[in-house]
Parts: sequence; C-alpha cells; structure tokens
Amino acid sequence: MSTTTSTTRATPTSSSLASSTKFKTFAITFAIVGPVIYMVCLFFNWPLFTFHPATNRIALGWEAARSGEGPNMTWYGWTATTLLAGSVVSFLATLLPETVTRKIPLILVWLIPFLAIPYLAWDLRQWWFHP
Amino acid sequence: MDIISVNTFWTIWLLVHLLLAVALLGALTHQAVAAVMPVRQVAGPGGFVTRFRAVPAAGYATAICVLWILTFIVGSYIYTKYRIYIRIPIEQAGYWKTQGFFDFKEHVASIALTLLPAYWFFWKNAHNPQYDTARKMVTVYLAIACWFLFIVGHVLNNVRGFGS
Repeated sequence: MSTTTSTTRATPTSSSLASSTKFKTFAITFAIVGPVIYMVCLFFNWPLFTFHPATNRIALGWEAARSGEGPNMTWYGWTATTLLAGSVVSFLATLLPETVTRKIPLILVWLIPFLAIPYLAWDLRQWWFHP
Repeated sequence: MDIISVNTFWTIWLLVHLLLAVALLGALTHQAVAAVMPVRQVAGPGGFVTRFRAVPAAGYATAICVLWILTFIVGSYIYTKYRIYIRIPIEQAGYWKTQGFFDFKEHVASIALTLLPAYWFFWKNAHNPQYDTARKMVTVYLAIACWFLFIVGHVLNNVRGFGS
C-alpha cells in the first residue's frame, strides 16, 4: 500500500518578497483596486493613451479614430491606466501602518473580480443586443 | 530580403500565443483542482482524477505568473493585427456576439493580470491558513478566466484566424 500526502501546502517560503509585509499590502491592495480602476476606466473611457494600429500612432489620453487612418485602440490605454494608478494606490497603501493594512478584508481580493463579470457583461450590452 | 512572409511572421506569433496559453491552461487547471480538492491521503496508487490533483500546486505559482504575463504580452502584440484584419471583417459579417466575447476576453485578461501579485503571495505563503480561502478563490478565478480566454480565442480563430 502506498501513501500520497497532500501536495497543496508548501513549506514556509524562504523568499524575502513573499515574507515581506509591505509586499503583502501592495499585492492585496493592487488586487482590490486594480479591477475597480479598470471598470472606472471603462465606464468613463479613460485610457492613458490611444493607439492607432494602421498608422502606429500613439496619442495621449483618448483620441477618436481619424478618417482614412483606420480604427483606434483604447484597451492598451485602459490597461496602462489601471497598472499605473493601481501601482500608485498600492504603493501609498504600503506607507500606512500595519495596524491599518491588516484590516483590509481578504474577501475583496476575489469578490471584486467575480463581481466585475456582470458589470463587464452589462458594459458590453451593445454587442449582445445589436440588431 | 525577407526571410519569411508577413503572414508567416504573424502566424508564428499566433502559434506562440497558443502554445503559451496551452501551458498556462494545463498548469492552472492542475493547480485549481489541487487547491479545491487537495489529496490528503490515498491508499493505493489512486485513479486518474487523484493523480491529476496530486500535483505540487504551490510550485506552479511562479511559472503561472510568468506564463500569464508572457501570454498577455504576446496576445497584446498580435492584437494590433487582429484589430485591423480580423475584427473589421467580423463586424462587416455581423458577428456581433463573437465581437462582444472578444471584448469580454480582453477585459478579463486585464483584470486577471491585476490579481497576479496577490495570487503569487498567497501561494508562497500556502502554509498560512489565513490565506486558504483567498488562495483557493483567486486560483479558481484565474483558472475559469483562463478557460474562458482560451475558448473565446479558439472560436475567434475558427471564425477568422489562422490562414485567413
């Protein structure tokens, strides 16, 4: 008879990053504010930049597609806004005392991304109900 | 002199994106199943399902983060060509829901990207029961997201992708 033991748990990590309290605060805050910032960017259409793939032109902020220059792309800009703003907010969170950051509810790390799904479906309603 | 044609160049990148996605999908599925249904103790060799979930899940975390970022970067790179040569014909053909699902895919990929630091931290501290629920839920979210992204990408490729 052979025995297989649980393989999910790891031995305590020796990585300094994984044991860093500041990184923990950064990572948890980033996971919470990231999806929120992304949804805000979508709602208000706040890309950091707009890319025009036909001409390889990049414009700061949002810029409409120009006649004869093909479509515009804002997804890169939304993602860039999210990563930049999320990093700033998460860095600021690391400056807070540990007694405060310890109170950040871990449930938000996964609840917000799950709640983002119905919002995204609503945001894309133009495609589902297109005549 | 061009060594390869423009079509071949982009096809190679599409295939790189596919291969990275397959590796990511496999790793995340193993890890998610191991997180949700960990193998505690098995008498005997165990069946396929037992062996499937009996992987050293914590050891996958860094590789999954690297694979997600690489797949994301390559996907972002080929997206520029998708926008012109795939999306416009799809819109002209009136495949609105297909287009909607691709936009859904890009949103989910970006949101999942923001979860990676926390996901990595939870798995590197897998010995700490305080993070058990968050670790499982984030891993399951990433696995579901990865399957969704993969299937949508596959359908999009069938509609107008490889060789078109």
